[in-house]
Amino acid sequence: MRRASRYPLGDVTVFSLIIINKAGGLIYQREYQAGLRSLSTNDYLVLAGTFHGVHAITRSITPKLPLAQTSPATTTPGGGGSAPPAGYSYPNPGIAASGLEHLETEKFRLTCFQTLTGTKFLLFTDPMTGNVDTIMNKIYELYADYVMKNPFYQLEMPVRCEAFDRHLGAWLRGRT
Amino acid sequence: MTVYSFYIFDRHAECIYKRRWLPRPASIAGKSGQSATPAISAGGGQTVRATDDDSKLVFGTVFSLRNMVRKLGGDDDNFVAFNTSQYKLHYYETPTNIKFVMLTDTKSPSMRIALQQIYINLYVEYVVKNPLSPVEHPGGVGVNNELFEESLEQFVTRVLS
Repeated sequence: MRRASRYPLGDVTVFSLIIINKAGGLIYQREYQAGLRSLSTNDYLVLAGTFHGVHAITRSITPKLPLAQTSPATTTPGGGGSAPPAGYSYPNPGIAASGLEHLETEKFRLTCFQTLTGTKFLLFTDPMTGNVDTIMNKIYELYADYVMKNPFYQLEMPVRCEAFDRHLGAWLRGRT
Repeated sequence: MTVYSFYIFDRHAECIYKRRWLPRPASIAGKSGQSATPAISAGGGQTVRATDDDSKLVFGTVFSLRNMVRKLGGDDDNFVAFNTSQYKLHYYETPTNIKFVMLTDTKSPSMRIALQQIYINLYVEYVVKNPLSPVEHPGGVGVNNELFEESLEQFVTRVLS
């Protein structure tokens, strides 16, 4: 493997990574670079739960655009939230409505990636950092390799896999 | 760029102004008529209830995110915008804790300046400087100011799109 393809983006500052299970529980939290205030474990648990709820709400406040001039009274409410109610369409019709994906603040950028099974990866990076999706894909790959393939890992429980820690740490620290 | 909705919340978490713009779907866009229709006139109990709930959900979202960002980034950090696959939410908070929120399409650039302009050039000029407009809005009367609403309408339809 060529070095250049391993670090395609140059300087990237990753502050920390949080993994939230599908029920909103915190299962992994690591800091890689100073830059954000570090919180207590309890605060991180609260943050994970709060974010889980906010993520669901951001999906439900997706603007609904009426399809035609039919009476809204005859429409049926949509189920689940991923499909628009009949008579309405979402702004980007081909794509399923998702929750929060990128959050920008003055000091950091939060990228949220939700897997098909509902696990959420929250990556805190420098606002200048470009293509975060590449980093996220690599993290997901490492998670699949070292957490999901670990026979001793219990689903939805806190991640305590040394190999995952080591590889992720080496990769994230190595690239900056 | 499309603006879907705009909200103002006062420092007591009360929604004092909300406005939705519903662009016509592409299939019938060629027909004559207004390009923006107020949500309330779209009729139907479901739409009215949805807009009412929306403002509360939007407030809950920005409030939680703002607190989360402050906890992580420090007290002088502020959240600017977030986007989902369907829309982008822009946020601006004045030093007096009035919150301006705008929902646009995902491709829009940062609207921080635009929200600031709405605050400085429209809200302060027409609402704050109006001696008849109430300072607090108990009971959800909200900003009921023709001049402000008209200028906002113009600003959004002419300047932003």
